[in-house]
Amino acid sequence: MSSIREFSKREKPEDYYLRLVEELKKLNNSLNAFSVINEGLSSGMPFSVKDNICVEGIETTASSKVLKGYIPPFSATAVERMLASGFGFLGKTNMDEFGFGTFGLNSEKEARNPFDEKYVAGGSSSGAAIATSILRYHIAIAESTGGSIAAPAAFCGVVGFTPTYGVVSRYGLIDYANSLDKIGIVARSAEDIEETLEIIKGRDRYDTTCTGRALGREPRKRIFIIKELMEGVDESIKSHFTGFAERLKGMGYAVEERSVSGMEKAIAAYYVIAMAEASTNLAKYTGYKYGLKNEKYSEHYNEFFTNAREHFGIEAKRRIILGTFIRSASVRDRYYYKALRLRAELLARMEPLLEEGFVLAPVMPIKVPKIDEAKGLSPLEMYKADMLTIPPNLAGLPHVSFPYAYIGGMPLGAQLMTSHFNDYSILGVVKEWERVFTYRFRYNIGSL
Amino acid sequence: MKIGLEVHVALPTKSKLFCRCSADASEEPNTAICPICMGFPGSKPMLNREAVRMALSIARALGCKTPSNISFLRKIYFYPDLPKSFQITQLEEAVGREGLVEYKERGVRIRRVQIEEDPAKIVRGDEYTLLDFNRSGVPLVEIVTEPDISGEDDLRDFMTELRSILYYLGVDIERELKVDLNISLAEQRVEVKNITGIKNIADAAHYEIERQEGLIREHRAIAAETRSYNEEKMSTVQSREKESNEEYGFIYEPDLATYDVSDIVPEDPVYATRIADSYAKGFHANAQQIREAILFNRDTLRLIDASKDSNEMRIVMNGIAILQRHKALDIEEGEFLRLLELLRNGTEIDAGIIRRLRLGEEININMRANLDELDDEIRKTIENEGALIEEYKSNKKVFNFLVGKIAKKYKASPRYVSERLRLILEGEEKGHRAL
Repeated sequence: MSSIREFSKREKPEDYYLRLVEELKKLNNSLNAFSVINEGLSSGMPFSVKDNICVEGIETTASSKVLKGYIPPFSATAVERMLASGFGFLGKTNMDEFGFGTFGLNSEKEARNPFDEKYVAGGSSSGAAIATSILRYHIAIAESTGGSIAAPAAFCGVVGFTPTYGVVSRYGLIDYANSLDKIGIVARSAEDIEETLEIIKGRDRYDTTCTGRALGREPRKRIFIIKELMEGVDESIKSHFTGFAERLKGMGYAVEERSVSGMEKAIAAYYVIAMAEASTNLAKYTGYKYGLKNEKYSEHYNEFFTNAREHFGIEAKRRIILGTFIRSASVRDRYYYKALRLRAELLARMEPLLEEGFVLAPVMPIKVPKIDEAKGLSPLEMYKADMLTIPPNLAGLPHVSFPYAYIGGMPLGAQLMTSHFNDYSILGVVKEWERVFTYRFRYNIGSL
Repeated sequence: MKIGLEVHVALPTKSKLFCRCSADASEEPNTAICPICMGFPGSKPMLNREAVRMALSIARALGCKTPSNISFLRKIYFYPDLPKSFQITQLEEAVGREGLVEYKERGVRIRRVQIEEDPAKIVRGDEYTLLDFNRSGVPLVEIVTEPDISGEDDLRDFMTELRSILYYLGVDIERELKVDLNISLAEQRVEVKNITGIKNIADAAHYEIERQEGLIREHRAIAAETRSYNEEKMSTVQSREKESNEEYGFIYEPDLATYDVSDIVPEDPVYATRIADSYAKGFHANAQQIREAILFNRDTLRLIDASKDSNEMRIVMNGIAILQRHKALDIEEGEFLRLLELLRNGTEIDAGIIRRLRLGEEININMRANLDELDDEIRKTIENEGALIEEYKSNKKVFNFLVGKIAKKYKASPRYVSERLRLILEGEEKGHRAL
């Protein structure tokens, strides 16, 4: 039984929500999962919302100083649908500023791993993954652009699902890179994810790219491991991953290695498109309409805007500068248009493979790093950590990240991807896996 | 001389281009706004299909190739009136490309017709700047011509033709119009930006041509630059803004993806100039007069169309002139044909008759068909009233009495009767004169 159904059936003590909030607040002080906790929660299965997704009347900043004080006058479609289905809004979850990050450290309060606070939680949906790992009954609405759901889910040992691009409405999502952004779900089981997906998916007139196409459940008997993706994977992970592949064989899947050329270009193509789009999305933060206001109205608008934009974090500034360069007329062909072509080519190369079987890969090429280690990475090393999550994200493919082993007490995550709109099929595989493998959680706040 | 134009016209849709706010920018400032047209974080554009249909109609009417799929771009620049700091517009995959506008046996090529959103309105005071976001997101169409316009007269003719074509598609550009003018008399291209209103286009062009001619006469160089038009001084001045396409940093608008327009049915264009010319030729009438009547007037065109079988363009045009005076051009076609009948019979058309026509009342005109009968009657009256006739020259009242008597009997126009009576009495009759 899904925890959603279990929760609705179980008798709850009168002070259930009060105690839940109390315990959560205490633990949140050390883990920084939530930026806002709804102390007035009094009914429904708790759900949290990544801080770049608007909830009417609740401060929504995408972890950015420039949006401090922004209280959206409307809720995202996904949030509306959760509320309409009786879920209770528990709070806003921490993240890397505007989604710019892989480790959950580009935030005023750095996210910490619930298994061990010295380790990163992963990002950018850091809070969503931590919250899922520490709360017994809870669903997280998160968002992924290049791996922001899969990465923290893998590091925090929970299930992270990113649907096909356009399946869940992006209305109410603060844009990072519109052609790559997907609202998805983090939960403790594939079953919970499937039930939540039923609620939040579907056509929305407020998001033109959300088409409402029916989702398939076509099973595949074969699972492919792409050779080129494994090349950059840390040796310490490889043996565990091979062991996992063996167990899948035992479950009746034919696991085969395949080669897909051009995979190495995915990171560059992704960052070019993401930065080009991000630099235009961040242009609107000019300090006079919402968020942090620049009060010096006597300044010329150029100075006024410049001052307002001082408050972006370093990674945001880096992406604005690089993105603006990429878009300039003299190099646009060389970067932007080329990246768009590469995206189309990558999808064309993966499609035939995905018709035959699922693609399986580790989520991260490295073990969960310590916070200090991650802080020492250069931007390029940080971008490279996304090498495995970028291909499905760049191609808009549905993928699910789930724990398959633990080393040194820290979880390892694998991801399974499939063809566009065949979203339910991979959740089916994870359900099978969950019957033979038990996920570990250090906390179970709100147990019944 | 080469003149090219970028003409921005507002589309008269009910709602804005990307949201459902009213597109009527005249409402109380900052009341027709929402998270979408304010560019609030989290909002996304929804494309207004009616705006696309209107833009497609314009592109077709201007002879453009129209694609089956259109896409949008972000044009990024920082200015207080632009809530997202980018404008959603079109370039390569615009709604129309490579068109041609023909008039007076010549043509101006259209480079592109594109859909874009209007920024907010800026109201400047001495000590403050106010922003009205009601206008933010109002649908615009930008029409970009090739530099095919050859001078001031040609510019005027082209604008008239363009205005007429747009008028018949329901877009009245007399009220709101913004134009960027490219004028080059020599090598260098000068752009005059942000000219508003039809009259100012001609004035700005006039000034700029004279300015450039002056520079050439003095053998001075013409700088390639952007200027702006000062309406009060009727002159152009060098403008400070220096944006180039390099700096706009265009990328695709990813929220709108590609939009299939192949099932949108555009409106059929009406080329009033061509229609006027063909009527003028067919009926040996004055083309200029017909053109003036129908260029910007749907009703006149409708009435002329309805009465084209009458073969008497002069009476038709006269009927239209009368209706125009009485602000009654919205009369139905059948009523207009009856009005022409009355005119043919010399009836004086006044407000009363027009009202009765519209009410469908019978207007009795016994002998209307034969004006000779009226003349006969006048002669008969002269004979019968011999004594009175002697007095008519000295006593104006007698003349008026006779006119009234005849007019009443035959329900004819007093003016016409008095004219005939005078001619007959004075022995100068030369047959009927047309009204």
